[in-house]
Amino acid sequence: MASSASTAPAPPAGAVPPGGERAKSREISVGALARLFVAPSIITMALVALFPILYAAYLSLFEYRGRQQQGFAGLDNYVDVLTGGRFWDAVITTLIFTVASVAFEFVIGMGFALLMNQAFVGRGVTRATILIPWVIPTVISAQMWFFMLNVNPGFINNLLGLGGFNWLGSEPWALVSIILADVWKTAPFVALLLLAGLQTIPEDMYEAARVDGATAWQRFTRITLPLLKPAIFVALLFRTVDSLRIFDLPAVMTGGSNGTTTLSVLVQRFIVAEPNPGVGATLSTLTFVVVLGIGVLFVGLIGRDLVIGDPED
Amino acid sequence: MARRFARFTAVMALALVAAACAGSSPEGSAGGGEGEGGGEGGGGGEELVFAIGGADAQPGGTHTQVVDLWNEQNPDKPVRIEVLPNEADEQRNAQALELQAQGSNFDLLGVDVIWTGEYAVNGWLASLEDVRGEVEDQVLEGPLESGLFEGELFAMPYNTNAGFLYYRTDLIDTAPTTWDEAREICGAAAEEAGISAYVGQGSQYEGMVVNYLEYLYGAGGELLSEDGSEVLLGEGDAATTALEFMRTAQAEGFYDPGFNTMTEEEARGVFQSGGAACMRNWPYAYTLMNGEEEESAVAGNYDIAPIPTFTGTEGGTAVLGGFNIGVNAFSDNVEGAKEFVVWAATNDEVQTLLGERSLPPVKASVYEELGAEDPVLGQLGEILTSDAIGVRPPVPAWSSISEDMQETIYSCYTSDSPPAEQCISDLVTAIQEDVE
Repeated sequence: MASSASTAPAPPAGAVPPGGERAKSREISVGALARLFVAPSIITMALVALFPILYAAYLSLFEYRGRQQQGFAGLDNYVDVLTGGRFWDAVITTLIFTVASVAFEFVIGMGFALLMNQAFVGRGVTRATILIPWVIPTVISAQMWFFMLNVNPGFINNLLGLGGFNWLGSEPWALVSIILADVWKTAPFVALLLLAGLQTIPEDMYEAARVDGATAWQRFTRITLPLLKPAIFVALLFRTVDSLRIFDLPAVMTGGSNGTTTLSVLVQRFIVAEPNPGVGATLSTLTFVVVLGIGVLFVGLIGRDLVIGDPED
Repeated sequence: MARRFARFTAVMALALVAAACAGSSPEGSAGGGEGEGGGEGGGGGEELVFAIGGADAQPGGTHTQVVDLWNEQNPDKPVRIEVLPNEADEQRNAQALELQAQGSNFDLLGVDVIWTGEYAVNGWLASLEDVRGEVEDQVLEGPLESGLFEGELFAMPYNTNAGFLYYRTDLIDTAPTTWDEAREICGAAAEEAGISAYVGQGSQYEGMVVNYLEYLYGAGGELLSEDGSEVLLGEGDAATTALEFMRTAQAEGFYDPGFNTMTEEEARGVFQSGGAACMRNWPYAYTLMNGEEEESAVAGNYDIAPIPTFTGTEGGTAVLGGFNIGVNAFSDNVEGAKEFVVWAATNDEVQTLLGERSLPPVKASVYEELGAEDPVLGQLGEILTSDAIGVRPPVPAWSSISEDMQETIYSCYTSDSPPAEQCISDLVTAIQEDVE
């Protein structure tokens, strides 16, 4: 979501200069018409997406006692949250989770995608099998992993002969378990995105490379990877932003214990469980800033030309 | 993220509105009830809406049977159940959304004993002082106390709850009465049978707080002063005794290896499959493990006893749970709703029904009548009338206190640092901030 907000204004900025010169009046009227057509969806998006963000930011400026508003607090909530340890712990936990899960999902997803792109007997069945984890609702797969990893009845421990190893009740294994569950669930999604990219690469390129004597590895690094770049970027951005908001897996599998309190788990605690809507809104606003910041950074660092569009295309 | 939660809240609100509309349409015979606050306009003769959640609120569940009973006896004053979600937090959220807006769609509220303070201080509950006299001499003292806020009755007792120590009669002759004995007896039995000694609720959640409070009260400690303004947790050494017991139990393997990820059902799962010698759990587990409804490896081989203390107090210790019924202060029919809560607390048929369905009743006479044949009610009756019972203080900030306890007690008992004294003094500081 954060990505679409930052990508939307970009194309016109890049598209306007090359037009120029001739038939200026027609150009403007087309632009105005386009804006008119886009207006309803922009307004809808503003109502649905922008209003809650601004409202949360507004609420974060008030002091609450329980659910009752006590009065204007200025930036007190922000000072409290930013000087306390909980927020920063959650930021670190969330970042570790994001980096680890996205990295594994990418590598495994790439493997799956390459496999699914090959022509072989039983390809349909393989594709379907790989995609199964992704179609299971996250809460259900979280509950399933909870049962499998939990000491009792201990399916995974029995399988691996680990006895009473406490995956979910010890650090850092609780976080590892959640990363594992996330990778299991979303690697197929990454695979799907990459597969779509792979299928746009023309087969003749590989043929030509083969004729020229390129090895399989060379074909992968010289043809597949460069041409897959847009798909890779989309997959990484989606997964990064999504991982930064992770809530369901830790909520179901550990309840945020043993170093698995992510930003969203912390937000939920203050908005729903305590509740303290002022601090909750502060935390969710800060979370939004973190996610937005990382999203923008991401686009700036590796995806600028991909998002804005390659001028030569 | 803001969006995600705002969206969640919006969906909750929509669901609530939808439910309210759907609920009032069959009643409001006018038919045109699209918006326009159809329910509110109706006023007087409308049915009362009882908002309560959980499995027992589902069709065929205990609460629906209670309501059916009322409707049979009072066809002119119908009551209808509005089913809330299963999770306690979500039930509280659904009710809070309605009450915060001063809505009158719910007349009767199923209130967990720990919500009373919060609801009362927000002015969401009608005072029940004028009907207190009608129930006071029939209802048990502990449950009644759980409905009080600053001495005033705000939630009528409906069903109560107290934990037991379950133990394997094929491995253990006499139930332990102190925690030292428990460590010995359950430990020895476990070693002999090659199973775990003890299971209970050790996951980071409200249930663990109850477990901790049982240790704390069993060591003679207190959490808060009577008026809820002062934190007494740091007085004396009960709090550290309790924490250190848990810490040792975890480190030395008295607790099952999975203790710190267990809630009620995981504990029952282990005990029921014969994997533990002793278990702390609520009464509901007793009938479920008798092998009639589910497969049970321990059918006929377990019994219940009061939860031990550190000093061997007779009657053990208990921290009350259960649900009371509050009357929405913004209801159009407060008087009618009060009639229902008094009836639910004192009617023999209702209270017996609750007892038979493993929701411990609050009416004292039911325990006398059924106690002789029903071992669970017999034991419970003794526990509930002893001095041993404790409550979770009915303070408005309970959920914040509980969150702090969950965080600190959990991280302290599952590791060996910092020292117990440090844990408790940190916790006292945090709770002090909550109650101020």
